[in-house]
Amino acid sequence: MYSRREFLRTGLHTYTLVALAPTVPGFLAQTARAVEPMRDGRILVVIQLNGGNDGINTVVPFADEGYARNRKVLRLPTDRLHKITREIGLHPAMGDAAKLVEDGRLAIVQGVGYPNPNRSHFKSMAIWHTANVNLPKEDALGAQTNASFGWIGRALDEGRRPVDGSPAAQFVGSGSMPQALRSKRSVASAIKRPEDAVLTLKESADSTLRTRAVHGEDLASFVRRSTLDAYGTSERMARVLRAEDSGLSYPATELAGRLRVLARLIKGGGGTRVFYTSQDYYDTHYDQLQIHASLLRELSGGLKAFLDDLAAARLAERAVILCFSEFGRRVRENGSQGTDHGTAGPVFLAGPGVRSGLAGDAPKLLDLQDGDLKMSVDFRRVYASVLEDWLGLPSKSSLGGEFAKLSIFRS
Amino acid sequence: MSAQKSDWDPHGWWIPYTSGDEAPWNLRRVVHLHLRAGFAATWDELQRDLRDGAARSIDRLLKGQARAGVPDKFRSVTETLAARAAADPAWLKAWWVYQMYAGPDPLGERLTLVWHNHFATSYDKVDDTEHMRRQNEIFRNHGRGPFGELLNAVVHDPALLIWLDAPANRRGNPNENLGRELMELFTLGVGHYTEADVKESARALTGWKVAQGAFRNWGPDHDSGEKTILGRTGRWNGDDLVEMLLRHPATSNRLAWRLCEWLMGEKSVAAAGIDALAAGLRHNDLNIGWAVETILRSQLFFAEKNMSNRVLGPVEYLIGLPRALECFDPQPSSLVLGEWTERLGQQLFYPPNVGGWRGGREWLTTQGIVGRANYAAALVEGRLWTRPIRFDGIALAKKHYRGRDLQDVLTFYAELLTGVPPEVAWRERLLAGLGPKAKLEPSTVRAAIALIAASPETQLA
Repeated sequence: MYSRREFLRTGLHTYTLVALAPTVPGFLAQTARAVEPMRDGRILVVIQLNGGNDGINTVVPFADEGYARNRKVLRLPTDRLHKITREIGLHPAMGDAAKLVEDGRLAIVQGVGYPNPNRSHFKSMAIWHTANVNLPKEDALGAQTNASFGWIGRALDEGRRPVDGSPAAQFVGSGSMPQALRSKRSVASAIKRPEDAVLTLKESADSTLRTRAVHGEDLASFVRRSTLDAYGTSERMARVLRAEDSGLSYPATELAGRLRVLARLIKGGGGTRVFYTSQDYYDTHYDQLQIHASLLRELSGGLKAFLDDLAAARLAERAVILCFSEFGRRVRENGSQGTDHGTAGPVFLAGPGVRSGLAGDAPKLLDLQDGDLKMSVDFRRVYASVLEDWLGLPSKSSLGGEFAKLSIFRS
Repeated sequence: MSAQKSDWDPHGWWIPYTSGDEAPWNLRRVVHLHLRAGFAATWDELQRDLRDGAARSIDRLLKGQARAGVPDKFRSVTETLAARAAADPAWLKAWWVYQMYAGPDPLGERLTLVWHNHFATSYDKVDDTEHMRRQNEIFRNHGRGPFGELLNAVVHDPALLIWLDAPANRRGNPNENLGRELMELFTLGVGHYTEADVKESARALTGWKVAQGAFRNWGPDHDSGEKTILGRTGRWNGDDLVEMLLRHPATSNRLAWRLCEWLMGEKSVAAAGIDALAAGLRHNDLNIGWAVETILRSQLFFAEKNMSNRVLGPVEYLIGLPRALECFDPQPSSLVLGEWTERLGQQLFYPPNVGGWRGGREWLTTQGIVGRANYAAALVEGRLWTRPIRFDGIALAKKHYRGRDLQDVLTFYAELLTGVPPEVAWRERLLAGLGPKAKLEPSTVRAAIALIAASPETQLA
C-alpha cells in the first residue's frame, strides 16, 4: 500500500502502471467530487430488443380467432399464459413481468409501429432511433448530418448538461453507440464492461485532459472530443468500481448482468439521465419456441431484479425502463417453426412511475394489412410521453413534430 | 494504366497519382498508403518505399511483397494454429491474427477483413470453428478476383447458409432470411428491390442445404415453380438469382461504395465518383483487384484533403502498433492479441449482426478509446507476450540513428506512426503528460510511446 506522498510521486513523475484498483487509498475516493444523486433527477433506461420481437407470442391475444388459425406449432397453450385480461396474456416465461403488472410496475402499450412499415432490420431500427419515418438516403460515405442524430440525443441537447460532468447518456453493451443517443452537443458514453473502461496508464489522463474543450464536427475534433469524454468517463467508472456492490441477487443471465452494472452506475450517483442497453437474438426465423421463451425469461427476470434492486436503494421512483424492438413478426408462422419480419409490436414501460396494465388497442389478427398487423399507436407518441411526461424535456423538435401523448405515467 | 480519362471515367475522378509539388511523395504519403492498404509499416519499409516511389510501393502491396521479413516457418505455424482452432474459437482468432501479423500479404488480409464485414457471419450462431475458418479462407482466396466468384463461393458455403437459415428454407415453407440479406446487404442494397422480390427470392433459394459439412442442392425441397424477381419471370433457382443480382447495376454501385468505405476517408468521394468506379467495375467483370488498384493508384487517394480523415480500425491498430515497433523476435502472442480484438470493439469472427461493423466514428466508444490506450500500455510493459518483455524504445530509435534526446524520440515515434513530426500543441501535451523531470531513460520512453500511440492524432489514418 502506498502512502499518499509515495503515490503522488510515482503517479505523476515516474512512469508506472497505476491500475485504478480497489486497493487505491481511500483518500482518493474522497477527493473525487462526490455528487449526491439528484433527488428529482429522473432517469430513463432503454432496453433494445434486437432482431424483431414476436409480439404476438409475447403479449398473446389468445381469445382472437386469428391466433389459433395462424399459429400451429407456435401456439402457446392458453392455460399456461399469465392472464392480464380475459383476452390478453403474457408468455408463460414472463412470470416476473406478470408480477410487475400486478404490483403496479409494468405498462404494456400494444400495437406500436409507424406508417409504411419497413422490414429491414437496419432501416427499421434507424427509424426507431431517429424518429424519422422518411429516412434520408445515406450519404455515400456516411457523413454526419442533423438527420443522423437520435431522438434521445436531440432531446438531451435541449436540456442542461449534467453539472458534475457525467455523460448525459450511457450505453452498456457490445457494439457501437446506438444512433438514438447521437447528438450535437451532449456527451454519450459507450462501454461493454466497466473494468475495460478504466485506464491503466495514468499519464494518458494527465496528458489529454489538459486540452481545452474541443468544438467542430470535423473528424479531428470529433476524435479529440471523444478521447476527452472517454477519459472523463474512465475516471468516473473507476470510482464506481471502487464502491461496494450492494446489489441484491440477480439472475445469472447476460442481460441481468448488464442491468446490474446500470444499477451500480445509477447508485454511484452522477447526472447521467439516460442508460441504454440491448438484448440480442430476437430474429427468430427458425425454431422459435425455445429461444423466444429463454429470451423473454431473461428480459422479465432482469426487469424485476433491476427494479427491486433500485427499490432497495430507494431509487426506484426515479427510473423508468422502456423496452422496444424494431418490428414485430408476421402473424402466420413460417415453415421452419419460426416467424419472419412483421410490423407492429408491444412496447413495455416498467417502473413504479407508470400506470400499470395494457394501453393501446390489442392488435386484431384477422384484420391485417398485407398479412401483417396494423399499428394502433405511432411509436412517436410513446417517445413524446417519455420525453415530456417523464424526463421533462421538450419533444417537438426531437421528434420533428407534435404527437399526442399517451397517459402512461402516474404524474 | 493510361493517364487519360477513360471511357468508364469521362470526368476523370480516378486519374492516376503523380508525385508533384501539390502532392509530393513524402513520408506522410508512404505511411498513409500502408495504413489504408495494409498495416503500419516498419521504419525500414517506410524508407524503402519513400526511395522507390509510389508506383513500385503499390506494386509490392498488390503482389504481396511489401513485407521485408516473413518468418520461414510461416506456413507451418499457420497450419499448427489451424489445427488448434478446430477445437477452440480463441485459437481461430489467433490463426487469423498470426496471418495478419506475420504473413506476406497485408493487403490481402485487409481485404479478408473487408469481406468478413461485408458477409458478416458470427461464430455465435454458426458454432463451428471449421465452418468459420473455411469461410475466412474463401475471403482470402477469392477476395481480389471477380466479385461473382467470391459471392458464389460464399453463398454455397456452410457458414453463411447456416447463419441465414438456408437449410430451413423449403418448398411450401419459405424462410426469407438468406434471400433478404443477399439482396439488402450483399448485392443490391436497400431501395432496389421490393418485399415481393424478397418472398420470391426465398422460393428460388429453397433446396440449398448443408450436409456432411458441405453445400448440397436438395431437389425435393426446391420450389421449381414460376417466380417473378426484379421484373423477370421464370423458374428461377438460387444460381439464377445470384446471376441476376450480379448483373444488376446496383450491385456494382454497392461494391464500389464498399471499397471506397474501406480505402477512402470521410467525405472524400462524391457520389459521382462512386458511380464512375461502379461503371468501371461493370466494364471489368466486377473485378475487385482492378478496383482496388484503381483506387490506390489514383490522385484522389493521395490528395491532401483525403489523408488523416479516416478512423483507424481496432484490428488495424492492434496489428500495426507492435509491427511498426518491430516486435518480431519474439512476436507477441497471437492468442493474446486475438483476445484484445474483443476489448477494442472488433472481435474477429463475432461481428455484432449480419450488417457487420459500421466502423468510422463508431469505433471510438469509451471502451474502444480506453482499450487502445490500455493496449499500448500493455505492449510497452511486455504484457502481450507469454513471458513479459518490456519494450526498449531507445534501442529501436538508435537503431535508426534517431533518439539522441527525448525530443527527438517523440519526433521519431510520431513520424513512424503518423508520417509527420508532432505539431507544437501535441508535443506540449506529451511533455506535460511525462512530467517536468522527464529524461531520456527507458521508463519515460515507454510512457512516451504509449501516449503517442493512444493520442487522438494517431487514430486518424
